[in-house]
Amino acid sequence: MKKFIKILIILLCLIVIFVITSRLLSPKYMTDLVEGSMIAEYYDEVKNHEVIFIGDCEVYANFSPMVMYEQDGITAYVRGTSQQLLWQSYGILKETLKYEIPKVVVFNVNALRYDEPVSEAYNRLTLDKMKWSKEKVDIIKASMTEDEDFMSYVFPILRYHSRFSQLTSEDFEYLFKEKKNTFNGFLINKNIKPVGSLPTKKRLADYNFSEKCIGYLDKITKLCKDHNIKLVLIKAPSLYPYWYDEYNEQIVNYAKENNLDFYNLKDVAEEIGIDYQKDTYDAGLHLNLTGATKLSIYFSKLLKEKYNLTDFRQNKEVNKIYQEKLISYKSAIS
Amino acid sequence: MNILILLLSVIIYASFGPINLIYILFSSITSFITAKYTKEKNRKLIFGITIVVNLLILVLFKIGIYVGIFGIPEKNIIAPIGISYYTLQIISYLVDVCKKKYEPQKSLVKYLMYVIYIPYLIIGPINRYDDISKSLYGKKHWNTNRILNGIIRVCWGLFKKYLIAGRIAIIISVITGNTAEFTGAYALFAMLLYSIEIYADFSGGIDMVIGVSKIFGIEVKENFDSPYLSENLKEFWRRWHIGLSSWLRDYVYIPLGGNRKGTIRTKINLIITFVVSGLWHGANYILWGLFHGILVCITKFLTTKSKTINRIINYLIVSILWAFFIWPTTGVALRMIGSIFTTFNYSSLFANLLNFNLDLANIIVLIVSTIMLIIFDIKKEKIILKIKNMKVETKIILIGILIMIVLVFGIYGIGFNVNEFIYSKF
Repeated sequence: MKKFIKILIILLCLIVIFVITSRLLSPKYMTDLVEGSMIAEYYDEVKNHEVIFIGDCEVYANFSPMVMYEQDGITAYVRGTSQQLLWQSYGILKETLKYEIPKVVVFNVNALRYDEPVSEAYNRLTLDKMKWSKEKVDIIKASMTEDEDFMSYVFPILRYHSRFSQLTSEDFEYLFKEKKNTFNGFLINKNIKPVGSLPTKKRLADYNFSEKCIGYLDKITKLCKDHNIKLVLIKAPSLYPYWYDEYNEQIVNYAKENNLDFYNLKDVAEEIGIDYQKDTYDAGLHLNLTGATKLSIYFSKLLKEKYNLTDFRQNKEVNKIYQEKLISYKSAIS
Repeated sequence: MNILILLLSVIIYASFGPINLIYILFSSITSFITAKYTKEKNRKLIFGITIVVNLLILVLFKIGIYVGIFGIPEKNIIAPIGISYYTLQIISYLVDVCKKKYEPQKSLVKYLMYVIYIPYLIIGPINRYDDISKSLYGKKHWNTNRILNGIIRVCWGLFKKYLIAGRIAIIISVITGNTAEFTGAYALFAMLLYSIEIYADFSGGIDMVIGVSKIFGIEVKENFDSPYLSENLKEFWRRWHIGLSSWLRDYVYIPLGGNRKGTIRTKINLIITFVVSGLWHGANYILWGLFHGILVCITKFLTTKSKTINRIINYLIVSILWAFFIWPTTGVALRMIGSIFTTFNYSSLFANLLNFNLDLANIIVLIVSTIMLIIFDIKKEKIILKIKNMKVETKIILIGILIMIVLVFGIYGIGFNVNEFIYSKF
């Protein structure tokens, strides 16, 4: 019996060493590649959001829930991640609905152009910090590129072991703790890089969205309908990669067929007041802080008017949480 | 348990492609029938035909003659996995049964186990029926110490493969990727490193085979005995790839007359045996075998009174001859060997030591793990005895540490192709 307990303690110690080593070697996404930390920040939130954004970088860079709250009392959260693919958006939405049922889900349609996994690096940014669930398993299976294997998601040490020679102070500092890098999923970027000459617009052989992508869009639509959520389709006002008219037409038709609202925000960029010489941090791909603020003011007003959202500024409990957030948000943007 | 082991072996083997199974079953069944049912009359003839047929299949694959016969493009010819290993096992079995060294196996299932046992089918070692049959067919009992020893052996194999061989492979691929620039000192550097890589890779794989077999209660013979501690080539071949070397001794060299027919015939027999060894590796390696044969014949001229100097000379000779394994064609290999004596670009090599796709931390890991391998080879008996006498708890800790070391410092994952063993292609 004594020997058995001894062996058990040894095994436990080995497991602890394994877990700590695995944690140490995994990227922390705290000061570098912070996009990887966004997916997990949501779990610590008070889940009272009436608006949930899903989609790729065009949502987390362009929509500031803090601005929306300050202006209209809207509680919103951006569950966007880098290069978020359709099946990832679907899985993340499904996961979100386990925690809360929002009134409105805003989905950025840019990802419809990709019907194959794009890169392992993007998969990792979306999935590494996601909590384990059936949704995560489904997303991993759907997203893996040819070189990837499922086990490396279960045991990250299999993927990140070679970081032993690249460990930095960040890896030790954030071994057992984490910090927030976004404000309700909005990632601040204050840099300015004006739009110069854009790459030539290439003609495509086929503009039709794939069956796979439309299939996942159908699933998102059904999921929202089943939960009595209003699904709003948007296209963020990015200048590049090109959002072709043929793409737009398909979404317009899809929205009509499914009784959904679709807003191509690039069409109203002038009305919003976006100045592509000042309001973008990477020459037109994403908006910077000033651009995102303008867009958020515009879109917040639109949501408020159209979808009967609550003004949570009147709710003492919620307001207290958001006022605290607003203080740190303002200090971050100043 | 035996049926389970056979079933698993067949399933895993078939997963490499069902065509593999057809070849191995053909060889197994023909040899089984020959050994079991051949009567005294025409005994030698029937055994001889079966041996020649099996040998012919192996040789045809080795020299790629199928291209000429059937006009199949060379790239489409893939030899059945493990053909080099199982054919030699079958031949040794047939020869021994024919000579009535032991009784033929009466059960086809048991015989198939001997031929298809998956751990040694991929990279060897080449086993003799009389060496392995007892533990292969014996009752398997649970023995914690034996199982833990097996796991430790597997971990040590993984250590060699993923810490040492995997890292050196990265450097070698950079050097072999540019045969125009990386000659002279670079070529010598590659040869010296490849000696370590092929040893770590091959013996690491064998450690895994021996370890896995130990877990199942099967005792597989050692295939290496610290070969780089040899003082001459003769000794080296007694310590390197023992399964193949001893097979060639018993079924090629001795039948040719061995050393019983005078000095010149002995030398010729030696050279023939080494050429066969080269051919066993493939048509490209015949010259490698020939050089080894010639150098073994003149071993006494290559030795001094100092053990250390002898070991260094032997290591250099073996390393230089690995050129035929490093570079894809005999022509390039010969050019690289020649460049060692004509191109003295050592300063360029030293300046570029950190430019072989391995950073300093990885080079340190490589050096430390290689030193550990050398220490193990020197103190092997003592270390093995110490591990055998360890308490169960200590063995578990050792396994945990080894697994962690391999997991953290091993070379594997996206971007690395280290799962294949060098000797699995032979």
